[in-house]
Amino acid sequence: MANQLGKRYVCEVCGTETLCTRAGEGTVHCCGKEMQLKQPKPLPSAD
Amino acid sequence: MNLAELLTIPASMFPDQEMLRFEGRGTSYAGLCERVARTAGALRALGVLAGDRVAALEINTPAMIEALYATAGLGAAFVPLNYRARADELAHLLGVAAPRVLLVGDRYLDTVRELGAARAEGPQLATLEHPAEGVPHLPALAEQSAPVFPAEVADEDLAVLMFTSGTTAAAKAVMLAHADLVAFVFNTTEPADGSDRGAVLLAAPLHHIAGLTAALAATFAGRRIVLLRQFEAEAWLHLVETERVTHAFLVPTMLKRVLDSPHFAAPNLASLQVLSYGAAPMPLPVIRRAIEVFPPAVQFINAFGQTETTSTVAVLGPEDHRLEGAPEEVERKLRRLASIGRPLPDVELRILDDQSRALPPGQVGEIAIRTERLMRGYYGQEAATRATVQDGWLRTRDLGWMDEDGYVYLAGRASDLIIRGGENIAPQEVEAVLASHPAVEEAAVIGLPDEEWGEQVAAVVVRRPGVEVSAEALVEHCRQRLASFKRPQAVVFADALPRNALGKLLRQELREQASRQPPAISHQRSGQS
Repeated sequence: MANQLGKRYVCEVCGTETLCTRAGEGTVHCCGKEMQLKQPKPLPSAD
Repeated sequence: MNLAELLTIPASMFPDQEMLRFEGRGTSYAGLCERVARTAGALRALGVLAGDRVAALEINTPAMIEALYATAGLGAAFVPLNYRARADELAHLLGVAAPRVLLVGDRYLDTVRELGAARAEGPQLATLEHPAEGVPHLPALAEQSAPVFPAEVADEDLAVLMFTSGTTAAAKAVMLAHADLVAFVFNTTEPADGSDRGAVLLAAPLHHIAGLTAALAATFAGRRIVLLRQFEAEAWLHLVETERVTHAFLVPTMLKRVLDSPHFAAPNLASLQVLSYGAAPMPLPVIRRAIEVFPPAVQFINAFGQTETTSTVAVLGPEDHRLEGAPEEVERKLRRLASIGRPLPDVELRILDDQSRALPPGQVGEIAIRTERLMRGYYGQEAATRATVQDGWLRTRDLGWMDEDGYVYLAGRASDLIIRGGENIAPQEVEAVLASHPAVEEAAVIGLPDEEWGEQVAAVVVRRPGVEVSAEALVEHCRQRLASFKRPQAVVFADALPRNALGKLLRQELREQASRQPPAISHQRSGQS
């Protein structure tokens, strides 16, 4: 799935996270694997 | 990463989105970025360099938000000062922080001038609101300045210097680096993605860590910031209604004033989704009443944190505030309302004994915290820093204990501990059990001198209006739920508990009151262990 604006992607190998600030057709890769969309946190923001 | 990029990153994605709202006027991300960049240019013109400090003395206005991001953008540290400080306190704060520039709101200019802060060796003054004779006017200077964009900084570079409220000593200046504040925001907030994130009502002052981090988190999350100059219950209620506020943070005293306001009307608060509270222990009757009268959809969050930990480290979440289910479940949740909840994922929390060994659940010790966003130390106070941060752990000097499910309970400062026959008893543990009794509005537990045991456990109880309960029944309630040595041996009924303006219980006053009044019950001491 193409990158989505304002979403974070995480590398399941090394833990790197990226934030997509401009979406295109491509997908980001790290450590030779496609980075995965980071799921939102279960708790609402505390502040 | 520069703290100011918490603004520029979402602004690059959603320049036209409104992100700040003040007294009926809105500002977009792009508009705020433009003003911040020019304000940075103005501060540079006043001589601010990377590594300097810029102090500000002003209530919550857009100019304060601009000054925060502009200062960080230059690689200097923002020092928001408590606008309630008296002149001599202010002189102390300025002496410690030694800022290059002091930004001043209209109402504080005379005080600052009287201090002699405008002396040649003092900070350069600049006004944030209106022009004043002989003092540069920051907004006018910004108009003429070329924009300056966020500088590259090292993670450990100072972004904010914030004074603690100082319950144990004179206020200390906590050093928070760019990486600390960015980590707090990244670890607790979803980035802006163009979806509707609602609006946060910022009523806590920006010189308080809860106010500052709420502003940073909302900026990055794409949540519109509705600024309130200074908290006032009627204005707060009005803004929630008219600005369709979804998120808000209140200290206990503010929440009580909102509840007591004649203008309080739940139907007008239908937009509210999350109401978080913290900064001082929440009196049980206040939060109980709030749960009853706010719209049922409101999610309550108790956020516990310190300036030294870059805000929140533990939260008691919305589920723990829903007082529903079987009677045992409701009782368990009522006890948990006295808890500060569980540590956030980026926080390690331990209860330590006096040998710095971790204690098992149920035992009271000092709360120690480790997180990647721990302060860099107290500014100019290396000895105090070494005493507070040991092997990477922040020693809070707060006592606490953890239950089997990982919920943390505060047990006061070391001086509140009751020592009965060599056993340490945290008053808050007994208070939580008493408060879970359906007839109890609130309860306070103190140690009273006792010839045989050194101290005996005494409870001062406020009954819920119109409900009767005997002292014997309350002691029996405790007997079933606590180790025998912890149950109260004396119960005194009272109409209210003495508290200070922040809602903090005045235990010394209670001890004096309780020793004057004969208890409703005083158990035989023989046979107890």
